[in-house]
Amino acid sequence: MMTDGRTSGIIHRVTGSRLWKSVFRHGYPATDLDRMSAMFTNFFLHLLPAKVHPNSLRLTYTWALGMVTFYLMVIQFVTGFLLMFFYIPVTDLAYHNMKDLQFAVSFGLLLRNMHRWAAHGMVALVFLHMGRVFYTASYRPPREFNWTMGVLLWLVTLFLSFTGYLLPWDQLAFWAITVGTSIAGYPPWIGETIRTLMLGGHQVGQGALLRFYVLHVAILPAMLCLLVAIHFWRVRKDGGLSRPEGPSPKSTAIPVAGGRFVPGPQKTYTLMEVVRGTSPMVGAQRPEDEVPAWPHLLFRLIVLFQVVLGVVVLLAIVFDAPLEELANPTHPPNPAKAPWYFLGLQELVSYSALVGGVVIPGLLVLGLMGIPYIDRAREGEGIWFTSALGKRIAAWSFVGTIPYTMGLLFLNARFGVRRFAPEAPQGVVDLLNPATLLLAAIVAFSVIVGWRTGSRRMAAIALFSAFVSAYVLLMIIGTCFRGPNWDWALPWL
Amino acid sequence: MPKPGSSPESIDNSPDKGRISRRVLLGTGWCGFLLSIVGPALANIRFLFPNVVYEGPTLLKVGRPEDYASGTITFLDEQRLFIMRDPEGLRALSAICTHLRCTTGPFMPPTAEWKEDHSRCPCHGSIFAKDGRVLQGPAPRPLEFYRVSLAPDGRLVVDTAAVVDKGDVLKV
Ligand code: FES
Repeated sequence: MMTDGRTSGIIHRVTGSRLWKSVFRHGYPATDLDRMSAMFTNFFLHLLPAKVHPNSLRLTYTWALGMVTFYLMVIQFVTGFLLMFFYIPVTDLAYHNMKDLQFAVSFGLLLRNMHRWAAHGMVALVFLHMGRVFYTASYRPPREFNWTMGVLLWLVTLFLSFTGYLLPWDQLAFWAITVGTSIAGYPPWIGETIRTLMLGGHQVGQGALLRFYVLHVAILPAMLCLLVAIHFWRVRKDGGLSRPEGPSPKSTAIPVAGGRFVPGPQKTYTLMEVVRGTSPMVGAQRPEDEVPAWPHLLFRLIVLFQVVLGVVVLLAIVFDAPLEELANPTHPPNPAKAPWYFLGLQELVSYSALVGGVVIPGLLVLGLMGIPYIDRAREGEGIWFTSALGKRIAAWSFVGTIPYTMGLLFLNARFGVRRFAPEAPQGVVDLLNPATLLLAAIVAFSVIVGWRTGSRRMAAIALFSAFVSAYVLLMIIGTCFRGPNWDWALPWL
Repeated sequence: MPKPGSSPESIDNSPDKGRISRRVLLGTGWCGFLLSIVGPALANIRFLFPNVVYEGPTLLKVGRPEDYASGTITFLDEQRLFIMRDPEGLRALSAICTHLRCTTGPFMPPTAEWKEDHSRCPCHGSIFAKDGRVLQGPAPRPLEFYRVSLAPDGRLVVDTAAVVDKGDVLKV
């Protein structure tokens, strides 16, 4: 190795040049103070705080779910941009573009697989992240609005997935557009207009493909960027990630390089002197409890990104993204199944399109957004399930929903309304079916829990847990126990 | 809060008579501002609804009456139609499921569970009878019948834009 004077001389000349200094204003930061100011003055690092609370770094608290989702989004952007070079949103070409990516383009299959796996990952992790934030009550003030932003991000993610799997124009795509836009046509008065808007006409064809393409590559990503920016900005402005109140338990604190925190001579409080009052940034921060984000946060994030990228590449190498047959407008596949995360919805829709496709999802989104405004207590932030009682309620809700849901489905299969009253008006079927009865039971259960415990937090835990449990169950049923003609079937037969 | 010079009388008598009050000016300004936002927004929404679409025809030619023997149901999958012929005449039944528009399957003979000819939709399990009735499943309405007519050249034409009662038969 050349570590002699000549090399270091060259390095010196490069790093001492005006060009270098115009790009990198400071040298490599050697002290904690320099590192903190590096976080502050660098455009990319500016997103992160200069100092973080060790509790926010605990893996078992956040599971890094939000950050992993963000990384997956970055992977989606990069792979998506590349795929756009070989994809033409024309019904006669789209499917063959997919085949080309698979067989004729170098690394085309890998990129498509990565795009697919990262998309599945995003859908799953956005939801898990929401679950983490919910169960640790991290939507407590001042983070209420950021929770709402999070719910919107969840919706945009789902729409991105939906518009994404329509693009290959295979059987899945064609019938998903058919069914999806028909659901959009259900709301009274405006339904048909929305459907026309989505399809760019009245039939599923070129107009629809182009519209979903534009949504997928331009409009929804732009919305995603904007919402993510607001989301992260709010995290910073609301005083970083949520955490249990009080100073960090010393046992979990990460030792600060160089000992205790000592305010440096450059430390200024300019902004804090301007900002009056006890905004969370000013009030709740105790710098002496925190550690510099460089290296404690930064290096973790770099390693995390490597891991995420590695897992996605590995999945993409091992498992190919499926491509069904070319879209056939005359025959849906039998059974025609949505991707796993929509199969619970498909199960609900199979009882009533209006209730399962419009009413329940609509109420669910409104309910989720409203949680922080309904549960206005302050206790429990940063603590999983808030209390031992919360833990018990969550467990009961999870488990209790299962027999109830199964019972409903069984009763419906044996004694469904249409079986006894074939001429019954649709309104009766919309009112008396497993989807409605499930919704009613879960809401009633949550109200009872809230009333008995006198805590809206406990009611929220019951509601959220029961819904998650029911949806996962429906997803499993849709995936494994539904066969041709959407009949009950056993996966091993 | 009444301010000096802002009551109607004082405006009438003041040298400012005929000049626009601050409130009117601001109101007009705000209205203009809102219009400048709402107008283009509405225009953009309107823009998204096409005035011309290039979609398939709604009038379908489906062959000659002789092609369909009495007592048969023919499934035309390209057209997503059933052509039914019985002693009374010809009928065209839509094969587009009224639930979420999947194509429902061909008619199958009665089984132990379904005592009449029935057609099943593969998407969410709706089952329909020959007269379009919903036997089971989430479909909210019966399948639709379309008007069948005879073109001058002797061929059958189905108008998928014209929904008719199930009693409407083309006598041939
Ligand atoms: S589309 Fe036929 S049952 Fe849903």
